[in-house]
Amino acid sequence: MTVRTGLIGLAGAAAVLAVLVQFNAALGLPAYLIVLMVTILFWIAQATSWNLLSGFAGYFSFGQGAYVGVGAYSMAVLTGRNDVNFLISIPVGGLLGGLLALGVGAVAFRLRSLRGEIFALLTLAVPFILAAYARITHSIDGGQGTTIPLPGFPSWIADFQHLLFFLELAVAVVAVGVALAVHGSRFGRGLAAVHDAEDAAEVLGVPTFRYKMLAIVLGGAIGGMSGALYALQTGFVTVENVFGLTIPLFVIVMSVLGGRRHWLGPVIGAALIVVLEDRLAAFGLESWSSIILGALLAGLVVLAPEGLYQRLRTHPWIALTTFAVVLVGLSITGYWAEVDAILYAMLSAAVVAIVLDRFHRKPPKAAPPKAAPSKAAAPGEEAEPPEPLIPAQIAEPDGRVLVSCRDVVRDFGGVRALDKVSLEVSEGEIVGLVGPNGSGKTTLVNLLSGALAPTAGTIAIGGQQIAGMAAHRVAHTGVARTYQIPKPFASMSVRDNVAMAVMFGRRGASLAEARHRAEQHLATVHLAHLADAPPSALNLHQRQLLEMARAIAAEPLVLLLDEALAGLNPAEIDDAVAVIRRIHATGVSIILVEHLLRVLHHLATRIVVLDRGRLIAEGEPSAVLSDPAVVTAYLGRQRA
Amino acid sequence: MITVQAALAGALIGGLYALMAAGLSVTWGVLRVINLAHFGLILVGAYLTYQLVSAWGFDPLVTVVVTAPLLFVAGAALQWVYDRLNIVEFNSLLVSFGLLMIAIQVATNVWTADFRRMAARDNAYATGSVELGGGLVLPTTTLLAFTFAVLIVGGGHVVLRTTFLGRGMRAFAQDRTVAAAFGIDHRRLGLVLGGVAGASAAVAGMIFALGNSLTPATAYEWFGTVFAVVILGGVGNLLGTLLAGVGVGVLSGLVSVIWSPSTEPFALFLAIILALLLRPQGLFRRGGVA
Amino acid sequence: MRNRVVSLLAAVILAAAGGACSTKQNQGGTGQQPIVVGSTLSLTGAFAATGIIHKIAGEQFVARLNAGGGLLGRQVKWTVLDDQSDQAKVGQLYEQLITQNKVDLIIGPYATPNILSAMAVAARHNMVLPHHTAVLAPQLTYACQFPGWSIGPTPNQFIPTMLFDALASLPKPPKRIAVLTSQSGSAAFVTDGFGADKNGVLTIAAQRGLEVVVNQHYAPTISDWSSIALAVRKAAPDLVISNGLGVDTVNALTAMKQLGYKPPMTFSLFPAPGPLLGLGADSAGVMSVSIFEPNPPIIAKVGGDAQAIVDDFKTRATAAKVAFPVFETQAAASWNAWQILTEAVKGAGKVDHKAMCDFLHSSGANTTFSGHLTFDPKANNFWPTTLGLKQIQNGEWVMVWPADRAAAQLQAPAAS
Repeated sequence: MTVRTGLIGLAGAAAVLAVLVQFNAALGLPAYLIVLMVTILFWIAQATSWNLLSGFAGYFSFGQGAYVGVGAYSMAVLTGRNDVNFLISIPVGGLLGGLLALGVGAVAFRLRSLRGEIFALLTLAVPFILAAYARITHSIDGGQGTTIPLPGFPSWIADFQHLLFFLELAVAVVAVGVALAVHGSRFGRGLAAVHDAEDAAEVLGVPTFRYKMLAIVLGGAIGGMSGALYALQTGFVTVENVFGLTIPLFVIVMSVLGGRRHWLGPVIGAALIVVLEDRLAAFGLESWSSIILGALLAGLVVLAPEGLYQRLRTHPWIALTTFAVVLVGLSITGYWAEVDAILYAMLSAAVVAIVLDRFHRKPPKAAPPKAAPSKAAAPGEEAEPPEPLIPAQIAEPDGRVLVSCRDVVRDFGGVRALDKVSLEVSEGEIVGLVGPNGSGKTTLVNLLSGALAPTAGTIAIGGQQIAGMAAHRVAHTGVARTYQIPKPFASMSVRDNVAMAVMFGRRGASLAEARHRAEQHLATVHLAHLADAPPSALNLHQRQLLEMARAIAAEPLVLLLDEALAGLNPAEIDDAVAVIRRIHATGVSIILVEHLLRVLHHLATRIVVLDRGRLIAEGEPSAVLSDPAVVTAYLGRQRA
Repeated sequence: MITVQAALAGALIGGLYALMAAGLSVTWGVLRVINLAHFGLILVGAYLTYQLVSAWGFDPLVTVVVTAPLLFVAGAALQWVYDRLNIVEFNSLLVSFGLLMIAIQVATNVWTADFRRMAARDNAYATGSVELGGGLVLPTTTLLAFTFAVLIVGGGHVVLRTTFLGRGMRAFAQDRTVAAAFGIDHRRLGLVLGGVAGASAAVAGMIFALGNSLTPATAYEWFGTVFAVVILGGVGNLLGTLLAGVGVGVLSGLVSVIWSPSTEPFALFLAIILALLLRPQGLFRRGGVA
Repeated sequence: MRNRVVSLLAAVILAAAGGACSTKQNQGGTGQQPIVVGSTLSLTGAFAATGIIHKIAGEQFVARLNAGGGLLGRQVKWTVLDDQSDQAKVGQLYEQLITQNKVDLIIGPYATPNILSAMAVAARHNMVLPHHTAVLAPQLTYACQFPGWSIGPTPNQFIPTMLFDALASLPKPPKRIAVLTSQSGSAAFVTDGFGADKNGVLTIAAQRGLEVVVNQHYAPTISDWSSIALAVRKAAPDLVISNGLGVDTVNALTAMKQLGYKPPMTFSLFPAPGPLLGLGADSAGVMSVSIFEPNPPIIAKVGGDAQAIVDDFKTRATAAKVAFPVFETQAAASWNAWQILTEAVKGAGKVDHKAMCDFLHSSGANTTFSGHLTFDPKANNFWPTTLGLKQIQNGEWVMVWPADRAAAQLQAPAAS
């Protein structure tokens, strides 16, 4: 479904809900359902806003309480203590939440080392600090708490619960609408790429810092607005209540249970958990409720680690039918209250989906690769392969200099990885970069692609100085690289992996156009038949070909191949060499980091030798490779 | 003088933080399992100590003889489950959180939510202290915490450096596949490690019960400080955990005395953020498991 | 392995379903419908230690009431749900009780934040809400909420005044005081006042010429008391006022003992009563506040069923494995709240919340443990307080002030 249809559907659903609630008395819908829905909508907004950064981009945050707290205290201080209209406090809460997120992101995303659990713990610390601050500051809280008086509302709204419902519905619609729009957009794809392989994404041209900031700010703003409503709902705001661990932990549980990669996941998770908790409380099973919830959490993570949504979407109709049947069935007997019926219907649908999935494991939607992996034979026998792409400017190489390194130095702490390396690569060349392990080859590749900055010296690509540029900008100057250990975007198909490079490349394109061009690039590397497969279904050689396809899809001037042939058998090597030739024929200059001599003899027009960070030889392959200094460098480390 | 005493007291209580954090840190660093149920084990250990002392008159320190083997088994069993179901990283966080919820509820069902504290007549350690002269005093409970922490961390460090099992664990932490190629059986290793972490939780629980009142919800209150100590010490770095625990304790004590107790959480978490920004691998980096 | 997990999950769901079946029976019974009272209590989570007391007291009250013929000739049923010490759940659960379960009456939960949330719901539905432990009078603005435990409309003034009056009666009244305050609702209120009303321990001490040598606020989550203990030891005050909750005072005293220091006199605001007794000799002489302690002279003064109620509570609480199974101020407050509720119904003659509210305002309510209560809306219904001081003597809490409600005399610290 496209973003537009999604948004229209969302608006429609919201309108229907609003009407049903407004006239609930006439329709005979119990008032309690409204109360329950208010809670569900609150958690939908929270879980969805959390999921923008943490689910889509994979940066797990434990700090959702910070945004809720900031929003709640906006309402508490403005409306509770200073009699400002509550309708003003809500957007103020959102604004402050967004600003807080901006601050956190600006600090946390600057440092590349702040990923994974370190980021999570950084965000855990933020609510503690805010809580302590609120406690010491008497004008905000001082430990006393703040009451929020009952707000006034127009007479067409029946009562306070109705008012709350409409407000929560509005915020939830904004939250889900944003998530929906993000998910289907270029921005959303960029976030997914960040989740799967952030370095590869950055080097491909995805502006990772900007995207992460946008995601965190959106999440913070929505969390803040929702937090302001939370204050209105509970009526009394204390530090423990809003800055505690409950909200962050439950938000994580809901999103993980429902599914983190899709905008519907948190919605499903929130609905299920809220209804479950409600019924557990109502049954009076207090000594069991936490046990059941804990067991459910543990069980579902084991059985459906990508979330319920993934399970449900493989059998959507069966799940929906189960839901409807159980719901209607239980309601008709009149034996169970409506909410119980809803709960059992949900659980049944979930169980059915999981069980079905276990027993009828459908093969991945991609057509399984038919041919034996990458036989070097049969390149020319395919029926009409899409034409390999030929960029417009292919002409006789006129020898202009594409890459120019002057006295490049790179230190890591006390270790000098590159020591005054100067190198030029001209158009049409295939330069082999060789050297023993630890000589600085990969470091040089990292510097050329912009992943690292030189400690000293200059690097220019296509005439542009790149030192100090963000890697995604460097990508646009015309350089692309592959990784020695392939880093595909695991959540996307092979075709979409390549399409990402087109979308975020120099020229840019829409998704449809990018997919089309992707297929052409895949043809160049002979992976066209696997276009729909997930990267996990590929063997090592195919993944390396995918790396290459992704790299050339960015239409670079220079392609950096970092040991792209590592781990291949001879037949696969021949195939890869043929691919590299084809790539070269399209006009791309290549820097090839490699150990295999015969490959270098075949392909390289020039060889450059590094040893312990220094450039020790350069020239024709045969000459360089028999240079005694080079031989010593390779063999000289053996013990006497 | 008051500052010195505050720093001293803080350093000692840091031993308790380190004791709690050590097991979590090592299983995280070596096995890549973030085991929140560790807090549940500490809680159960504390309650068991309380029970043995109050109902059967054990000396509190002696209860470890019973609780440590019990929780060794529990810890190993947990690790076995994680291993069989291949639960690592963030999944382990969630599953173990579910298990923690269950543990807390079970504790509530068995011991009620009332504050439970060993009576003064059963527990002389709670109010005892060692005089150092010059007005400086080492409270017994935290002194014991520090002693046990040093013993366990020191012992663990020695084991990791010198025994085959220890070296195997360090190898495993650095590169699993290669370690396996050298015959390091990760399953057995994991069980032993999980068990030892459980036993350390028993000791931590006993120490906590010595000086505090127990209520099931206490387990949640440990999160912030313990995670801070784990991260600051460097995940998987035993010695670092001890130093970080002491550091956190000293910082808290000094801030409370120089400014006020109400600024303490503020200062502590600010310091943690700064530390994370400047040295995210931990303040006491020694590379891998040490 | 996974199949077993699936089966386990299915079994859990079925069990829950079974649980549901057993509780969802029809209301339709023979004869009169019972009057249903709904409430939540913190049965799990941070407040649960005291929540249990209120659950037992409530169950005891309802059993007694029903044994005596019920209310308006109808049996009474109490539906209590666990709010898990989570304020957000309180509002939702009360809405559920009122709109879904359609309870006839409601009564309050435990702890001030939860009571305030419940009050908001009660206000929205115009129902009478008796409650038993919120003393933050200025925040309780709903006209039909009725406190079972009153410290008057300004506890921040009353408590310090009463304390200093009592101490002034000693041969050597304290002159230098240390004030330790938990940064949470009621405790901070008593120390610092609220909003424009700055009266509190600090200001009143100053008015009386007492010197505040230590003034420290701490977060409720504090784990290391040694720095506070250090500050107190250094200042060597005559009296430590520990305005804290739960086990704060226990922790403070223990930390001081470890430094070799025992304060001459200590006052604890709202402690959990049991743990302090557990300190043994170190807690002798500690004072606190109470509206009732089961001391024989007090019970005798209260008369009526008091002794039977106290004994019955002890039996029930012991059976429920409560650590401190004593019917004291908390349970008495609970009893008051229940009696306010039943008196209101009896006075109005029917289950009509407006009539009940009006009745209470005009006629008040009679309670076993606090006598006749009168409710003045201008004082937010906080009746003239019967709060007194209690002190640990011979391992028990005894009422010591004011003299006409005391069971023993206030003891001065032993000469040092």
